[in-house]
Amino acid sequence: MVNIALLSLLAAQAAAPDLGAQGQPFPTGALNVGSPGGIPIGKLMLMPEIAVVVDGALGYTTLSNGQQELSALVLPQHKVWPLLQEVELAFQATIDPYVRGDVFLTFAPDGVEVEEAYLTTLSLPWGLGVKAGKIYSPFGRTSQLHRHQWTFVDQPPSMQRLVGADGLGGAGGDVAWLTPLPWFAELHLAYQATAPGFANVLQLTGVARLIQYFDLSDSATLGVGLSWALFQAETPEQWKNLAGADLYVKFRDPSSRSSVVLQGEIYGRQLGDQVFSQARWGGYAQAVWRLDRSWEVGARYDNAPAPVALAPGTQQTWTALGSFYTSEFFRIRVQPSLVLLPGGQNGFQGIASFEFTIGAHAAHPF
Amino acid sequence: MNHLAAALSVAALLASIASPARATVNVVTTTEGLAAVAREVGGEKVKVTALSRGIQDPHFVDANPSLAVKLRNADLLLDVGMDLEIGWLPPLVIQSRNAAIQPGGARRLTAGTAVPPLDLPTGPVDRSQGDIHPSGNPHFLSDPRRVQLVAAAIAARLSEIDPGSAAYFQERLQAFRARVAAAEKDWKAQLAPVEGRSVITQHKTLTYLLDWAGLQAAGYLEPKPGVSPPPSHVAGLAAVVKSAGVKGVLVESYYDPRSANQLRDLTGVKVIVIPGDVGGAKDAQDWFSWVDALVKALVQAVQ
Repeated sequence: MVNIALLSLLAAQAAAPDLGAQGQPFPTGALNVGSPGGIPIGKLMLMPEIAVVVDGALGYTTLSNGQQELSALVLPQHKVWPLLQEVELAFQATIDPYVRGDVFLTFAPDGVEVEEAYLTTLSLPWGLGVKAGKIYSPFGRTSQLHRHQWTFVDQPPSMQRLVGADGLGGAGGDVAWLTPLPWFAELHLAYQATAPGFANVLQLTGVARLIQYFDLSDSATLGVGLSWALFQAETPEQWKNLAGADLYVKFRDPSSRSSVVLQGEIYGRQLGDQVFSQARWGGYAQAVWRLDRSWEVGARYDNAPAPVALAPGTQQTWTALGSFYTSEFFRIRVQPSLVLLPGGQNGFQGIASFEFTIGAHAAHPF
Repeated sequence: MNHLAAALSVAALLASIASPARATVNVVTTTEGLAAVAREVGGEKVKVTALSRGIQDPHFVDANPSLAVKLRNADLLLDVGMDLEIGWLPPLVIQSRNAAIQPGGARRLTAGTAVPPLDLPTGPVDRSQGDIHPSGNPHFLSDPRRVQLVAAAIAARLSEIDPGSAAYFQERLQAFRARVAAAEKDWKAQLAPVEGRSVITQHKTLTYLLDWAGLQAAGYLEPKPGVSPPPSHVAGLAAVVKSAGVKGVLVESYYDPRSANQLRDLTGVKVIVIPGDVGGAKDAQDWFSWVDALVKALVQAVQ
């Protein structure tokens, strides 16, 4: 197969019109001239794209473990604590003309996990696309993101408390329909076995999501999403409904690397034995300003149900962010947070984080 | 006889239904430069839409899902390749659900496969060398020689998509080549007095054009591709300016000009802002006016 590919490239080069005959020859330096388009060796060898993403941090908090309940980042109280949060190993490739495959393995202090491993169809008709395997549920905006795609060092506490500490996901399939509307409107229907972080039991789950994007101008885009998850309720204690709405606005002068993103989500969760008025709610709003190719600052306000030990009541968290990118493959972040808990049990958390990527170039997040 | 005529009429009708006359080919390109070349070749037989604008850095276009809608019904996706769009095009192509424009698809033409590349790495590649392109330098479209190869590839692919218009596309290709040849004479005449001189550029965006023009890059504001210029590098370039007799620095409009301005303050070189692509300036609205603007900028930079 490699030989066939090489021969094809060489044949294409031979077939290219020879403008040298017009008296303007191409450069002939052997070091500079290659086959048309170059020869990406890895692709000729049919290797998948491979990337490794490493997240490390140094954290400090005045909060106890109970006060950090259901957080994906639990720090020892009153200690400056180093963490290797996660190493993600990604393999991505086209399987055949009809499907591609993506596998993401995560190595964390609590073990190795298949974060996602799925196939994606490439050629279904009528605007349909299917993902099948272990996938993040098409629910909300931030809960579907891998750690290295997060803008902040952690996820919003409201998402962690109401959706799941690591988001929502599991084995199953997601059928997505790109509607024929003149703007981007995509409807997802997923059927999965998910394990919400607080239930720790696999639940048969149906998820629906409608996400739309509107170009407001050359430099402004609006994204609006609605999500709903229905869980098999085996006991009254199991929650059965989860709803979410998300709003996203990005302002970017096309000629600049600078941008401002305003984003917010609200979540509502209704347990099996609750009436609607007893549902728990939470959400966050954040603003992130990318100043230039290197610097980014942000702020986030979050309102979440308080940890069980402190319930009822709400936890409010104010978070600031400063990020520095040396390149697309390395960033350093500093993130202080003020946590306001019921009964005046307030606390502080500070995290300094680094993240680097080696290997394949990932798509820029939008 | 009447039966035969009727049968032939039905056959003709069925044939016309089976292969209806194509109105226009819906071409989507990743850059305005490729869009301009597609218009030159496709004329009134194509409808061309560019995903990015000439004022944008093509390395850093947002993967805005709205762009996937433009790709959904594309009859032909024309991309640059050589990893120029690697940060934003792949997810859009998948989101589009358009099977024919997936990599290797019948309706996908990567212009980089039609040209001999420059700046191919000759040894081990890693990112200590910056954000390099292992398949070669993707900024080839301003080269009057290579643009003709790209135009020929577009004409060939359009002819496959719309065989009934193949002669039309070939005719337009020949007309485009003739116009390029005529323009080249004019541009070469402007450049002849300054042949062999050197400029400094921000990024390796002008490698092909300088090669065609007989000029040289004495250095780059970026110490390595995609890496911001530190003050020490700018100071080092000041020495290069003096030793190589550089008179001008060329910076695409989408780059931050602060480093170029620092070099100007240190050495007195001219800083000339240039359009990065077709549409990157008011006087660069098609391929010819874009290259014309670049040639004028080159002449200005070395005098």
